[in-house]
Amino acid sequence: MKHALHSVVFGLFLALTAAIADDLPTYKLLMKDGRIIPETLEVPAGTRFRLEVKNEGPGAAEFESLELKKELVLAPGVTRSLVFFPMKPGTYKFFDDFHPETGQGRIVAK
Amino acid sequence: MGNAFFVVWRESLEAFLIAGILYAWLQGNDPGGKGKRALFIGLAAGVGLALLLGWALLTVQDELSGNALEAFQTGTLLVAAGLITQMVLWMRKNGRQMKARLHADLSAAAEKSGFVGVAVVAALAVAREGAETVIFLYGMSQEGDYGALIGGALAGFAGAGATAWLAAKSLARLNIALLLRLSSILLLVLASALFVAAIDRLIGAGWLTPMLDPVWDTSLLIDDTTKAGKLIADFSGYRARPALTTLLAWAAYWIVVFIAWRRTGRG
Repeated sequence: MKHALHSVVFGLFLALTAAIADDLPTYKLLMKDGRIIPETLEVPAGTRFRLEVKNEGPGAAEFESLELKKELVLAPGVTRSLVFFPMKPGTYKFFDDFHPETGQGRIVAK
Repeated sequence: MGNAFFVVWRESLEAFLIAGILYAWLQGNDPGGKGKRALFIGLAAGVGLALLLGWALLTVQDELSGNALEAFQTGTLLVAAGLITQMVLWMRKNGRQMKARLHADLSAAAEKSGFVGVAVVAALAVAREGAETVIFLYGMSQEGDYGALIGGALAGFAGAGATAWLAAKSLARLNIALLLRLSSILLLVLASALFVAAIDRLIGAGWLTPMLDPVWDTSLLIDDTTKAGKLIADFSGYRARPALTTLLAWAAYWIVVFIAWRRTGRG
């Protein structure tokens, strides 16, 4: 009985988190040939959001931001998502760690 | 080509440095050669692991396995930081004992566990950054630019090897006490950087609260988004805008290490 109750609660929890995850506003970022498109991404401050990063290649890319504490290695042709937690208004820099000279971008939370 | 060189150099430097420091230390403290064998076995295993992890990073696209991979990578950071720290303390203890009695009659078990530690540390050092190098090189091979791939990658590996060799050689020139002390400090700083990276990953994944973020901003002094600044951040744990949680974790790391260091000194 107790087990059943646990699984119900756990199931609800899963459903709930899945629902929350699905409702996240999603922004897209393109990494291409060592460049980041767009270089400035505007997002609302104080809300969770998802960033869908696509590496069109050629070549691998690494989305990295020490400030935002994110790191994501992308082989060419790969798309992966990052979930960001509510940010204070401000400008946050990120870069392509495999192309530090050309791949610099920033997220502006307003 | 220049970029390939830099990326490969930076990604493999950590592994070469760890291997170089361990080698220099074993040179003076491992008459039987068992430690060196453990080191090479570890390095070879690390290459295999790097290929495996690189392959996983290549194939994983969905969020769920992405999260699992993220958790795994954070785990390897924590294990590597912990093991390196533990190994440094082991080296300190052993170095003393070996100096005290020329015939190192440590218990076989203690010696064995120490060498297993050496192998695992070497394997993790290669596997972690090696996986990223695998993806980077895979990406270049997709570009079809084999000249730049082979030239840049080889030059990068050679450059990292030379850097580490130089570090190990200059360490080996020192007297044994200074060698032990300096290589220990280098390894501990590296371990603290791995620990900071793990904490940052945990915050980024939402498993830890940053509390106050950022506590300060020293990006005008050293900007960690530049090439050189990122290198400093990777190897020392420096952050231009640290979160309070990261800062506290860093401080806690050094307090624990300091206390353990003093203890092994006495025992």
